[in-house]
Amino acid sequence: MNQTEFLKTILPCKDKLYRLAKRLLVSKDEAEDAVQEVFLKLWKGRDKIKNYKSPEAFAITMTKNYCLDRLKSRQASNLKIVHNNFKNSENIERQVEANEGVELVTKIMKTLPEKQKIIMQLRDIEQFEFAEISQMLEINETAIRVALSRARKAVREQLIKQYNYGVS
Amino acid sequence: MELAKIEKVLDAYFEGETTLTEEKMLREYFSGTNVAPHLEAYKNLFVGLKNAQQEVSEKEVILPEVSNTSNRRWWWSVAASVVIVLGVVGLQFSANTNQLTSEEQQALTEFNKTKETLLLLSKSFNKGTGELAVLGEFTIAKNKILK
Repeated sequence: MNQTEFLKTILPCKDKLYRLAKRLLVSKDEAEDAVQEVFLKLWKGRDKIKNYKSPEAFAITMTKNYCLDRLKSRQASNLKIVHNNFKNSENIERQVEANEGVELVTKIMKTLPEKQKIIMQLRDIEQFEFAEISQMLEINETAIRVALSRARKAVREQLIKQYNYGVS
Repeated sequence: MELAKIEKVLDAYFEGETTLTEEKMLREYFSGTNVAPHLEAYKNLFVGLKNAQQEVSEKEVILPEVSNTSNRRWWWSVAASVVIVLGVVGLQFSANTNQLTSEEQQALTEFNKTKETLLLLSKSFNKGTGELAVLGEFTIAKNKILK
């Protein structure tokens, strides 16, 4: 597989990978780094890509794993946590300003557990079929529906709270 | 779109039981201007999700130029090998053909003579050690008897 072929296969899902990474890692820079890393890994294993039924699904699984690893190692080092907290609060502040409308959903999504975050991202934002998500995450469809329902309800609860606060 | 149907699909949505088509329908309904007042709060949800899909990465990914650099490296190694082989062959060739100067020739004869002499010496020396070996045998025999 040469570079042109590779890019033709993988480049169309770059933004999906980026959005997933950003949903998990929050920071834009880290999300971009994650995408770069995943692309390099895919490029190294490019001869195997053809063997996968869906290169896109494979790339998404890889991104998810990479981001979860990053989060784990971030937790492992105290220094990074401090740094991360700082970044988060900065981000939230920025978002509070633009809060009033539609930014609210993504802000609320930040409070979800990782698994629900990933599932909601893949279904409600990227609009993948349950079968596809099941393949990407290696979780059965019923479990995905359950987690998704929980995530959506949690978002709804927050959203309505905020909405009523804004109205009253 | 009739309101009753929207409400029903909305309920199914929160149970995780909607299809992609139904979810698309919800997004379209809430993006429109005719949202029922009591559902207004959901507007932010569906429009927010729709907007979230618009976000794109502005940074280009960089792939290593594997094919090019490896080709170049390959050529470099071939070129280097050719140079080395040529060097070795050339050296051999020149050593074989060069005529020795008279001084060198004299040195060579001297060297050969010395070698012969030394060989002779070592031969006589070996004869001596041969006798020493006999002496050794004698010591062994003596030890057997005397102990």
